[in-house]
Amino acid sequence: MMGGFMRSLSKTLLPIAIAALSFVSVEGQAPKKATAPVKKSTVPKTPWGDPDLQGVWNDATSTPLQRPGGVGSKDTLNDEEAAEFQQQLANDLSRDRRDGGPEVDVNRAYNEHWMDSRRLKITADRRTSLIVDPPDGRIPPLVPLTPEREKARAARAAANTRFNAGLPEKIEDFSLPVRCIIRTDSPPYLPTIYNNDFQIFQSPGYVVIGPEMIHSARVIPLDGRPHINKNLRQWLGDSRGHWEGNTLVVETTNFRTDDGVVFQNANPATFKITERFSRVDSDTINYEFTVEDPTTWTKPWTAVIPWTKIDPAEQMYEYACHEDNYDVVHFLAGARSREKRGETK
Amino acid sequence: MKIAALALLMALTVRPALAHHAFAAEFDAKKPIKLRGTVTKMEWINPHAWIHIDVKKPDGTVEEWMIEAGTPNTLLRRGFTKDSLKAGTEVVVDGYQSKDGSLRANGRDITLPNGQTLFLGSSAPDAPDKDKK
Repeated sequence: MMGGFMRSLSKTLLPIAIAALSFVSVEGQAPKKATAPVKKSTVPKTPWGDPDLQGVWNDATSTPLQRPGGVGSKDTLNDEEAAEFQQQLANDLSRDRRDGGPEVDVNRAYNEHWMDSRRLKITADRRTSLIVDPPDGRIPPLVPLTPEREKARAARAAANTRFNAGLPEKIEDFSLPVRCIIRTDSPPYLPTIYNNDFQIFQSPGYVVIGPEMIHSARVIPLDGRPHINKNLRQWLGDSRGHWEGNTLVVETTNFRTDDGVVFQNANPATFKITERFSRVDSDTINYEFTVEDPTTWTKPWTAVIPWTKIDPAEQMYEYACHEDNYDVVHFLAGARSREKRGETK
Repeated sequence: MKIAALALLMALTVRPALAHHAFAAEFDAKKPIKLRGTVTKMEWINPHAWIHIDVKKPDGTVEEWMIEAGTPNTLLRRGFTKDSLKAGTEVVVDGYQSKDGSLRANGRDITLPNGQTLFLGSSAPDAPDKDKK
């Protein structure tokens, strides 16, 4: 059964005014400032005096990056609405469902036992989107792209089409995650279906972030040194950090120019990401990121994702993606086999 | 009500990256398969675990199938170990065969012959290795 809020949500295809009228009035509809206040007294310090962010953290949530159409302009929900929102999202994301027919079902492998169950819960602050700025919770519109970038995007789309048809021509037709080159280890860190863990290490002058998937080490100097030469391009970019109060601020540029390296295929020449890590209590880090690229988006935008400290018994595991990635062979050999039989889709 | 619910789903199904790859690219929705076989080994590897099974055909010959599964990291967190699915265990696999027709499938569901689901979702109260979180 759907409650009142879900009935309201379900009217997304009706005029917005009707949906808006059906919402129960709640507090806090005005856009909120991105960063939660940090209580200095609760932030532990390292022996050398830096705020201590160390530990293993998990960023799984069902709260979508962008605000779904059905919630109108609400940025946060009351308890009842939040419960229904969470239930609906969990149902939507569940891999144990069997409806929708085989075309949908084939992509629902594997059932929930293989998934991070924490990804079925919305954020504790009951937001309707991870994006907090712009206030509508949506990625800003794109600026007109240059003909060269339009051409590159069309080429990427064609490669995706070949891949999704099971007929990739070459390894570059695969996305970078399928090739196990970068995955959720490239900033910004976004929640996914499993292995949403991040381990933070600190030493005087450095912070190192080790994402479980893929297990790269992102070394962030804090000593104020300049970025590397702009002609030196790296898969995870080049990060520099500093402290603003108890918040670790990390600015990253110098991403490689390969297609798909930069978040949302922004322009590597002008893209910049600023991340803010604020420990708000012993078990929570507020992870905030702002991305800006005047040659891609009409304005910068910001999202906030809570990181929760996980049980120390729940250790990180190696994710040796590349060395056991049988799929590369399966995809390419399968495509050649199908071509010989004259299959084209 | 159903139409309204579908509209909601359409509105909500805007998600960031999902699995390691879109399974529909490798496995064929038009080739659903149900295999009954005996586990010969399970490969605890990333990005995907693989379960190997021998499937005896009606004519007595045996086919060796590879069943693709998810990340083993999650299984470890749920208390699943190498001893949880031993060689010799008889299993039933519901899934989809690879598009090129080779003896590979994605393991949509894997059950024991008595119908008990081997890798049960956390929503199932009688899961043998139910997540304690």
